[in-house]
Amino acid sequence: MIANILDGIVLGLQFGLLAAGLTLVYGLGGVLNLAYGQMAVTAAMVALFAMDAGVPAFLAVLLALVAGGLAGLVLDLTVLRPVYRLHGEARVLLSLLLSLGVAFMVDGFLNWRYPLKALTLGIGGGPVEILGVPMRRGSVWASAITLLTFAALFAFFRYAALGRAVRSVIEDEEGARLVGIDPARMLRLILVLSGGLAALVAVTRSMVVAVDVQAGVSITVSALIVTVVGGLGSVAGALLAGIILGIVSIVAADLIGTYVSLIILLGAAAGTILVRPAGLLGVRD
Amino acid sequence: MLEVRGLTAGYEGGDVVHDVAFHVDRGEAVMIIGSNGAGKTTLFRSLIGLLTPSSGTVRFEGHDIAGLPAQRIVRLGVSFVPAERHLFPRMTVHENLALGSYPDRPDPDTMKRVMDLFPRLSERRRQRAGTMSGGEQQMLAMGRALMAKPRLIVLDEPTTGLAPKLAGEAYQALGELRDRGLTILVAEQQVPLAMALSDRGYVLENGAIRMEGTSAQLASDPDVQRAYLGVV
Repeated sequence: MIANILDGIVLGLQFGLLAAGLTLVYGLGGVLNLAYGQMAVTAAMVALFAMDAGVPAFLAVLLALVAGGLAGLVLDLTVLRPVYRLHGEARVLLSLLLSLGVAFMVDGFLNWRYPLKALTLGIGGGPVEILGVPMRRGSVWASAITLLTFAALFAFFRYAALGRAVRSVIEDEEGARLVGIDPARMLRLILVLSGGLAALVAVTRSMVVAVDVQAGVSITVSALIVTVVGGLGSVAGALLAGIILGIVSIVAADLIGTYVSLIILLGAAAGTILVRPAGLLGVRD
Repeated sequence: MLEVRGLTAGYEGGDVVHDVAFHVDRGEAVMIIGSNGAGKTTLFRSLIGLLTPSSGTVRFEGHDIAGLPAQRIVRLGVSFVPAERHLFPRMTVHENLALGSYPDRPDPDTMKRVMDLFPRLSERRRQRAGTMSGGEQQMLAMGRALMAKPRLIVLDEPTTGLAPKLAGEAYQALGELRDRGLTILVAEQQVPLAMALSDRGYVLENGAIRMEGTSAQLASDPDVQRAYLGVV
């Protein structure tokens, strides 16, 4: 049981970071990016091809992060342009449709050209014992990187002027404009950050299990579920919901079965919407 | 300092203010009075860039600012305090104030002057804005606007939702700012308070300026007395 819970936390931290990237973009700009998982997979493929070409792993990971950020920037500069002209529900719907189109295109291309590719970052060395449970070194590394990233995110949003400016747009866009903050620039920044986070999750995930070309849809769905449970626009909510759902997912998969665990996660998201529409720590209703 | 000419603005359903012209000179306090629905909020929103005017010019210190977005206009030296305040409810008083000077770091002198003007903000600097009373939120909204070191401060009905005592305190603070030389433009329904503050004023009715004059002239006008000062 302890082993399951530890594995759940490993998965949950990645769920949380994944959701943080999705929830910030939604909370900030009313944009639901369904191409999120494809951004992660694209970044993973960049790392894979770089390593195949002989680039050292550390550099390949950096390239993947840059690729993820660039993917966010490209979305902002192209597909999302018409979305920015709309407001409210129409905006959410158009962003959802257009990004889904991007997701299909990227998925189609990757499956056509590289159907068998998968990224695995081997972390050498034997298992590390935690609470008496031998944990794979890759899991420990992935979790440590994820936790450090969360710490950096919290510090950024709490102490950096730019981070506060981003929060101000999430809390009251008109108030933000009145103090001289341009919401469109903050959204562009967060889309780049979100792409970088997607890339980081793909890369750290590959230290635990192989991230293959088909992973995009399931990454997006996981991020969406955790976002709904954690609350839109809340990084802390994403972390909390990620850990809870990670544990639930691993325990359910072990006790019942993998497929059922996904249904349980969807049920958790649906239940959250019914009981607490704003999510655990949501900023907006 | 501020010169508005032929300003027409509104929403999708049609224009709300028509061909409005007025001006504010440096160091003046000017009021725009009018009843609920007269168009004061629409006029101010189009003035400070939250709403794009359909036509007209707005000049501030020689710049044509009509149609610029609000985030640009505030950097030129015009701060706006909306009636709904638009604070950041989950942030502390101090964080709200610090954001007022974005993108610069909050200037300690300005911060101190704001805290001196509103001592209650100083006592509650770690409290979340959303948990404060209406009067405190109004003070915070004014303080946040001052942190940008504006040369013109524009306030839309600063007494909205405030008890008479707190409304009086808000205007007392505005009086101090005026005495220090800050230029003030205020829209108000509670006309006696605005009149005591202002040098001049305009009466807005059905989206158009119907009357203008010094505060003394307006106060002695029988129509103004009947409509806004409760004189029978």
